[in-house]
Amino acid sequence: MKTKRINILPYLLMGLVALIFLFPMAWTIISALKPEGQIVSYPPQWIPQTPTLENFTLVLQKFPFMQWVWNSVFLAIVSTVLVLVLDSMAAYAFGRLEFRGKKILFGLIVSMLLVPIQAYVVPLYMLFSTLGMLNSYTALILPVCANVTGVFLLTCFFRSIPNELQEAAMIDGCNDFTIFYRVMIPLSKPALSSVAIITFISSWNSFLWPLIAIRSDHLKPLPVGVAQFMGAAGGVSGSAPQYGISLSAACMAVLPTLIVFLILQRFFVQGIVSSGIKG
Amino acid sequence: MRKQEKVALFFLLPYLIVFIMFRLGPSIAGILVSFTKWDIIGNPQFIGFKNFWYLFQDQNFHIALKNTFLFLLLTAPPLVLFSLLFAVLLNQGMKGKNLVRTIVFSPYVIMPAVIGIIWNWLYDNNFGIINYYLRFIGLRPIEWLTSENWALFAVSIVTVWSLVGYNMILYLAGLQGIDNGLYEAARIDGANGFQMFIKLTVPMLAPVTSMIVTLTLINTVQIFDQIYVMTSGGPGTATLTLVQYMYGQAFQNFTLGYGSSIGFVILLILTGLVLFQSKVIKAES
Repeated sequence: MKTKRINILPYLLMGLVALIFLFPMAWTIISALKPEGQIVSYPPQWIPQTPTLENFTLVLQKFPFMQWVWNSVFLAIVSTVLVLVLDSMAAYAFGRLEFRGKKILFGLIVSMLLVPIQAYVVPLYMLFSTLGMLNSYTALILPVCANVTGVFLLTCFFRSIPNELQEAAMIDGCNDFTIFYRVMIPLSKPALSSVAIITFISSWNSFLWPLIAIRSDHLKPLPVGVAQFMGAAGGVSGSAPQYGISLSAACMAVLPTLIVFLILQRFFVQGIVSSGIKG
Repeated sequence: MRKQEKVALFFLLPYLIVFIMFRLGPSIAGILVSFTKWDIIGNPQFIGFKNFWYLFQDQNFHIALKNTFLFLLLTAPPLVLFSLLFAVLLNQGMKGKNLVRTIVFSPYVIMPAVIGIIWNWLYDNNFGIINYYLRFIGLRPIEWLTSENWALFAVSIVTVWSLVGYNMILYLAGLQGIDNGLYEAARIDGANGFQMFIKLTVPMLAPVTSMIVTLTLINTVQIFDQIYVMTSGGPGTATLTLVQYMYGQAFQNFTLGYGSSIGFVILLILTGLVLFQSKVIKAES
């Protein structure tokens, strides 16, 4: 008979892996809770002697931090809603309707998956500059709406829905519009939530375009705002390091994301798996 | 126009307008701009392949090209290998595996700018905890981000750390698709864990691997935020990648045409990598 023996090695490895990934974040949070003088104390102290929130209040007082958070939340929500509407409509046309030039058009859209933003960011900049819309929410939202992945994923999904459903709905007197929002949309909730998650994350994290398009401090989304703190920390420029505010800003920027992620974890994973496998 | 074509147009039009204006149009324009001399003041002048000729002779471009590929070599293999190992490890029936999966994945949801701040702090020459522990175990401290020899490597570590969880999720999904019966059969045939991993798991995951390789190549060639926040391409040109150089030329020097031509090179590299990757898959299967 086989003896039941718990193998300790996998648990050790698992603990090690967890440590590697937790350690940087844990050390950042702990450091942010220390007054500036103690942050750089040597040897490092894992338990802060006099924990304080002064770094956090400094960030909130000296920088429009909450405004940046709001900008990011607002941009991510509006972009996601618009992408869902535009992409699902387009995907319905590609997945369920017949029209001339469908294949060529779809091929053209999908081919844009390969074109990185670096290849079209200059014309994008000039376009918004000509329209006089640089430095505005619009400039950050519209390019996101030209989303390609979502159209691709949703078209594949709509195609996989059996024809019988559509025929049954037609017999019940549905036309294309009612089929779209009474049959297709409710059926594709998993696919739609995947697209929503991917869009939300990419909008939340987007950096290059906002860095180029936004000048005003109060219009900056969170990543661009937070990046400024690196100057304050002086890690590169060589001035005296001021880690307190940059570390507490980092913590404040992470917390909302981590909380949302922990709540919606299942959807995150689902979104990544479906976009990865099919994209 | 047939009735269904009208309906199709109705569904397509809103998307097509933004797609053409903000994606297709700019992409085509981007290619055209890369054949012009355009310094923000004044109009673009068509100069044919001259930008590419300049790039060919531009020392910094050579460095950026080299750094981009070096960065790819430093990040892509560990990103594939470690994610596979983590996925296999965290696919065992261990207590707490879901928690550890979440922990490994979590850096992915942290914005790269923040990751940059966190790691600059860990890497700090004087006060960084990494150097403290290096000294503690009797090693020499390393000037992670301020030495030309180490900076690209240091940034690569951060990239692997932050993206490996994403690949791991894809591998975990792939592992779930493997029929357990295969492992049972192999066990009966006397295969050990390592043999099963090499002969069964790895081949069965080949489609996932090829997808992960493609995604990883695309993502790492385009990496910008972390390097921008951590080193801005420095020290010197040690972490100057193509994307950093493109940004610098187009939006700090405002040589838009020249910057665009670098963007065009990035597009060519990505296309090349994806084609190469799909060729490799075809050859293997």
